Amino acid sequence: MSATTAPTAGAPADAPRAAPIPRLVSAFSGTVGVAVKLIALGLSNALAVWAIYVLITRQHWVALAVLAAATVLIDLVYLAPGQAFLPAKFLIPGTIFLIGFQVFPIIYTVNIAFTDYGTGHIGTKAAAVRQIETTSLEPPANGKTYTMAVARSASGTLTLLLSDDATHKLYAGTTQGLTPLPAGSVKASAGQITAAKGYTILHGLALFSLDQQLQSLVVPVGKGAGIRPQSTSTAVELEPTLRYDAKRGVFVRLADGAVFRDDGSGEFARGTEALEPGWKTGVGTRNFSRIIHDPLIRTPFLSVFAWTFIFAAGTVFLSFAIGLFLAVTLDKKGMRFLRTYRAILIIPWAVPGFLSLLAWQGLLDQFGVVNNKVIHPLFGTTVPWLADANVAKLSCILVSAWLTVPFFFIVSLGALQAIPEELTEAARVDGGGPFQIFRRVTLPLLLVAVGPLLISSFALNFNNFNNIYLLTAGGPPQANSAVAGATDILISYTYKLAIATGKGQDFALAASVTIIVFFITAIISTIGFARTRVLEEVL
Amino acid sequence: MSSRTRIAALLIVAVAGFLGALAGSIHSARAAGPTLTIWVDQNRKDAVTQLANQWSAKNPGVTVTVVVKDFGSIRDNLGTVDASTAPDVILAAHDWTGQLAANGLVEPIYLSAAVKKQFPAYTLNAFSYGLAVKKLYGVPTQIENIGLVVNTSLVKVPKTFAQLEQEALAYKKKVHASFGIAVQQGSGYDAYHMYPFFSGLGGYVFGTNSAGNLDPSNIGVANKAFLKNSNLIDKWNKEGLINSALTYSTAQDAFLKKQAAFYITGPWATQVLEQSGIKFKIIQVPKIVDASVPFLGVQGAMVTKYADPHGVGGLAADFVSNYLTTPAAQLALALANGRYPANTVAGKQVHDPVLAQFGQAGAGGVPMPNIPQMASVWQDLGAAWFKATKGAGAQPAKSAFVTASRSIADKIG
Repeated sequence: MSATTAPTAGAPADAPRAAPIPRLVSAFSGTVGVAVKLIALGLSNALAVWAIYVLITRQHWVALAVLAAATVLIDLVYLAPGQAFLPAKFLIPGTIFLIGFQVFPIIYTVNIAFTDYGTGHIGTKAAAVRQIETTSLEPPANGKTYTMAVARSASGTLTLLLSDDATHKLYAGTTQGLTPLPAGSVKASAGQITAAKGYTILHGLALFSLDQQLQSLVVPVGKGAGIRPQSTSTAVELEPTLRYDAKRGVFVRLADGAVFRDDGSGEFARGTEALEPGWKTGVGTRNFSRIIHDPLIRTPFLSVFAWTFIFAAGTVFLSFAIGLFLAVTLDKKGMRFLRTYRAILIIPWAVPGFLSLLAWQGLLDQFGVVNNKVIHPLFGTTVPWLADANVAKLSCILVSAWLTVPFFFIVSLGALQAIPEELTEAARVDGGGPFQIFRRVTLPLLLVAVGPLLISSFALNFNNFNNIYLLTAGGPPQANSAVAGATDILISYTYKLAIATGKGQDFALAASVTIIVFFITAIISTIGFARTRVLEEVL
Repeated sequence: MSSRTRIAALLIVAVAGFLGALAGSIHSARAAGPTLTIWVDQNRKDAVTQLANQWSAKNPGVTVTVVVKDFGSIRDNLGTVDASTAPDVILAAHDWTGQLAANGLVEPIYLSAAVKKQFPAYTLNAFSYGLAVKKLYGVPTQIENIGLVVNTSLVKVPKTFAQLEQEALAYKKKVHASFGIAVQQGSGYDAYHMYPFFSGLGGYVFGTNSAGNLDPSNIGVANKAFLKNSNLIDKWNKEGLINSALTYSTAQDAFLKKQAAFYITGPWATQVLEQSGIKFKIIQVPKIVDASVPFLGVQGAMVTKYADPHGVGGLAADFVSNYLTTPAAQLALALANGRYPANTVAGKQVHDPVLAQFGQAGAGGVPMPNIPQMASVWQDLGAAWFKATKGAGAQPAKSAFVTASRSIADKIG
């Protein structure tokens, strides 16, 4: 082994193989390469043209400009002659994915964190005004409902032929008002007018195409009340209870003249009384100050943060320890069934995580297999794996470690095999025992390779929503807690805040917690990476 | 790159662009006549498709697109979907009404007196929401509630709660079980299945204001009467009448494998119960201090705010308020997933004994509160039950429910 690591005379013949990037470049410079490139570009352009079409129909102008610019840039870079944009050719695909999957979600989250996005505040102000006007319509005390046919008069005026559901009296209604129809001039079956003298009744597409016109048509019947079409064959008498004063931008309640003003936080309000729906609007740092000042959020935040740290660190430490132990044990040449052992150890990794988690949830249930078939027969009692706060925490770490062990087993095995044997041999010659060699030679060398992976695994477990949510859903509840259960980590706690606070859902609050979690993870990772760099320098 | 290849390149790019534009125009060519888009869950897809086809046959020129969605995501996606692909009609549960209306996503519905008369008042009330004045936002199609399933070959059908307690505990002793009544909670908690016990002890979720609407500031999770009776929960916990460790599957298992003679469940278990060969009767949990009524769930259909801009406002309202309210449509929809129709005329045509018994077990029940603040209640109310009924080491019920009540009030803010 040690002989082959030094360069030998055979090396020059292997040289082209050892340089993959130039080979890749040359592969893409031939005729095949050009053809592949042009087809890929053509497809990307076709996709862009289609997307531009869709964006125009939906009037998303900013997105349209970005897309068009990106498409032109891509065409320019890949069609430019010579080596002009060579670095860009390699950077563009990665950059697109970085922007699409990292930068955009971050900008979006930050943007939401400074708004009041949540139940009652999801749309625009204009939509809210329109919806308040619609829902403020009320049937008057003796409000009537009508069976309706839509017709045009001889002069072409759009007319509603109405039959009162209670009295079966017949009327013709236009925007001018309601006039009774002489009984003899009308044919009706089951309340539905089928023919009327002097009118052409509209059916089918002729009727359906008038939908928006009909939905805004009002037959005035006095005192502000009006008959409005509801469906294609019914109409109802309604009167507004609120009036929108567009000039002042306020709603006025007609009954008592009460004024509802835009209160600056996305609602028309008067004291504590607010009109629904509100709209999405910027609220500055309100969400962040709520995290700091509201005991409901702040109190569990610290304990949840502590547990998140323990969970992530415990999972990484335990799985690395077991993975390393197994790797050292199975790093023996000539051992029988070596491949079989290794294959078995990788199985937890091959099964989709959510399946294993649901299986573990079933196994660890109070009446599950572990308690029923193992613990109870052996010890005559049961363990509240998921029901007791401390045991559930332990279960979370154990199951997460079970899922992560294969990763560290493979990584450690690879790193162990990369450590030159002469180093351990030299240590043995110097009189080191096996444990001493492992502790002073193998482990430090191993940590150089595995250190960054430990940190990224820590960051991943820090935000490991799946493991917690599918295993315990954050439970069991704590004696004095509000939102957070005993095993809730920051990210599952954030999720619970998002779906069950305030008036139902509070996405903005959750987004601002997410930003704080992001900074915590970033700080921990930065410190960690700095420390592994120190480790490298020591060597 | 030579100039010839560059010309070829430009040609390919141009052709691709043309194809893209073509794809775009196909995309738009779909909607020639009016198209009504309906979001349904998998269970009722066939029934709704059939009804929609019969309806569109009466309205020639109208195309109906039925889109299958996971039931819960119908509610969640309605606020985020792009307007151009948004549904005009959705199937919905009544307890979504507050959230959807507060977000301005659904349109009011006006039914004639003749149609209203065919529906029990509570089903229409369940779909009504408003801060000052209530408006109807959905047409009820089917109702459901839980009941107490009694294995009649193992125990007698109890007439009083004392009898239930006695029978359940005697049977528990006989089979060495750790619970008397199989009712699901588990680490996900379950305030819904525990509601008969909650209401029987005098608990309520939200009180009503002077206008008769649910008032989110009046929380009855730890009201005086309930707290006075809550020592009964501690007693049940001590004697093992109920046990929070049971989940959906372990509760069902316990009843099917005769580890429990009493089981609290709803009509979704009808098939399993009938196939088990167990002789059973479904009743309402007997009165504890107050009547132990279950939560009532009403499902129905709503018209979304997208129907008007899509130019199908009238058609959507016609489908929902004129067509889906008819007894025939109600029967087809309700039977599609084994529920009782909301329309009383249709209800008379249902002769399934199990559905009828579940119906009787729901007498006097309370519709789940439909105001959006209910989202803050489920977790805490369920957690209080979990903490108070977890056997050894359980928290006294009084403090568990007081904590829950305070937490709910905090969250609603």
